[in-house]
Amino acid sequence: MNTQTIPPLAPDAPVVLEMTNISKSFGAVTALVDVSIRLRQGEVLALVGDNGAGKSTLIKILSGFHQPDTGTIVSQGKEVRFASPRDARAHGIETVYQDLALIGDLSVFHNMFLGREYHKRVLGLNLLDNRKMREQAQLYLDTLGISIPSVNSTVDLLSGGQRQCIAVARSIYSSPKILVLDEPLAALGVRESAHVLGLIQNLRQQRQVSVILIVHNYNQIFEVCDRINFLHSGEIALDASTADTSEEELIRIVKSGLGRKAIDAAAAQVRPGPA
Amino acid sequence: MPPTAIQPTKKNAVGVKVPRTMREQLLILLSRYREASIAVVAIVLVIYFQLGSDGGFLSPSFMSVVLRDTGRLGLIATAEVMLMITGEIDLSLSAIFSIAPYIMALLSVTYGVPLAVGAVIGVLIGILVGAINGIVTVRFKVPSLITTVGTLFFLQGIVVSIYNSQPIVAPVEQPFNAIFGQSLYQPTDALLSWHGVTAFTPFLWALLVVLVLALVLNRTTFGLHTIATGSNIIGAREIGVRTDRMKIYNFMIAGGCAAFAGIINTAQFTSADPQAGSPFLTLQAIAAAVIGGTSLLGGSGTVIGALIGAFVVASLNNGLVMIGAQATVSDIYLGAAIIAAMILSIQVDRLRTRRRV
Ligand SMILES: Nc1ncnc2c1ncn2[C@@H]1O[C@H](COP(=O)(O)OP(=O)(O)OP(=O)(O)O)[C@@H](O)[C@H]1O
Ligand SMILES: [Mg+2]
Repeated sequence: MNTQTIPPLAPDAPVVLEMTNISKSFGAVTALVDVSIRLRQGEVLALVGDNGAGKSTLIKILSGFHQPDTGTIVSQGKEVRFASPRDARAHGIETVYQDLALIGDLSVFHNMFLGREYHKRVLGLNLLDNRKMREQAQLYLDTLGISIPSVNSTVDLLSGGQRQCIAVARSIYSSPKILVLDEPLAALGVRESAHVLGLIQNLRQQRQVSVILIVHNYNQIFEVCDRINFLHSGEIALDASTADTSEEELIRIVKSGLGRKAIDAAAAQVRPGPA
Repeated sequence: MPPTAIQPTKKNAVGVKVPRTMREQLLILLSRYREASIAVVAIVLVIYFQLGSDGGFLSPSFMSVVLRDTGRLGLIATAEVMLMITGEIDLSLSAIFSIAPYIMALLSVTYGVPLAVGAVIGVLIGILVGAINGIVTVRFKVPSLITTVGTLFFLQGIVVSIYNSQPIVAPVEQPFNAIFGQSLYQPTDALLSWHGVTAFTPFLWALLVVLVLALVLNRTTFGLHTIATGSNIIGAREIGVRTDRMKIYNFMIAGGCAAFAGIINTAQFTSADPQAGSPFLTLQAIAAAVIGGTSLLGGSGTVIGALIGAFVVASLNNGLVMIGAQATVSDIYLGAAIIAAMILSIQVDRLRTRRRV
């Protein structure tokens, strides 16, 4: 991968998204407490954390699927309130959910265009333009180098990895401003995850799309991300740039379950003795 | 813009199993042409009854009976298919079937409201009841099985209490009756006469509704979102499908269809019986839907199959009597047919290839 060739994000890159003091509870379960994240134009932000830390909940608030109990979302300088995923998509925020949100009974091309179907007028009726959607889906998947048996096959016949590729392709199709990927590599083979990472790297190079990427593999984070946010029990415990942090340090912090300040403080206390 | 160069992986590399045995190939064929497989059953049944009745089964007068029942059952079966695709069911349709024409007849005899106007009001009432069913189901998260059993008793109670369970003799207004439900085909009729053709109007209306809904289901965004809602409700919602609305709209379609079926039924018998629709009618319609190839799991279904399924049920009900069996025997066949259809449908689902949506 062409990691070295990508220059660091310009320090004056404008902020495109700011989620401030987001809290969310599900009944007795507190999923998020006062979480704030900030994303700049063209930045690739890694969101890491243990299982159940609240990563998916946070991005589902951004995608309009959940509504926050408290907190605000400012996107491109305007405060926004997403009542549904429709609103977020209309605002240029595309999400690949952890469960992929594909419809098993529908064909690949219908899934690609679900919610933004092409129509044609036939005898005054607004009918689906299946041919156009089929052609566009095929064309687009070919451009991305994603190969599936047929765009006509129903999604429940595809393998887990193929489905993941379809979901990623669908999210990039509409050229979003902000792309949110919740574990997009989970079911992918080595080749395929290199491929998807390549797609992200490509976006990063152009610095047009801002990406929030949830992954558990730290190699991959250091390969394609500019910055890391560590979410721990519903709170942001670390916000660091990949340039200033080593992989070992990140693993140590995540394992300890504490923020970097706490770790530094603990280290300072024991510093007198040899490590 | 193509991303970093990656060779496309080989086609057919993963995911699709190539069918091997005859049995698997047959099942795949069935899954691709669900309506065709139930159509074959219907044709076999027609041939059987035709031979067993010395040619009486396919006579215009007997067909007008079978097709009248097919139309009534088919409209309700189609209504159930729309709901079953979204993963819901409506057991109150028989009560809507009773109450809509009852109000039409009541308005006519007490206020002199023309039947056509009363019919529109009746259909609107059906749609309203559907909306209530839908809203209670999605907003209060009551399973539709329970919601609609509730409205079933509620409406049934209302309609019998209006006039102390008495049927109302509905006036005959032409051309309303000829268009919506003429009396049956008489032996003296010519097939191409006005009365000869209009004897089949109940079936023709059902056919029209089925064709319209087939178009809606397969060629519109509404249909696509209806399927998405039943197939993967969370996923559909995540991608922005308004799943609650889709369910409510389909409840409304179902209510409207049931009301329309009831109005046709009343136009034909020129009498509005508060007990015209028994819950058994709804169950037969669900049977027709299942026999026609719609599963209860949601996400797939065929309205054309439901109409053919209704024809199979109506043929069983009438044909067995015609060839001299006792009326009750048809239920035995119907019961067996439902279970066989369900087993087949689940087997077929397992080997499903692509659907022609
Ligand atoms: N719809 C919901 N209803 C109730 N509780 C929920 C719901 N969604 C999430 N939670 C709870 O919120 C917490 C955070 O869940 P979330 O899915 O955001 O974690 P995550 O960080 O994405 O975990 P993972 O790495 O396993 O995907 C968990 O305790 C979970 O049980
Ligand atoms: Mg998650």
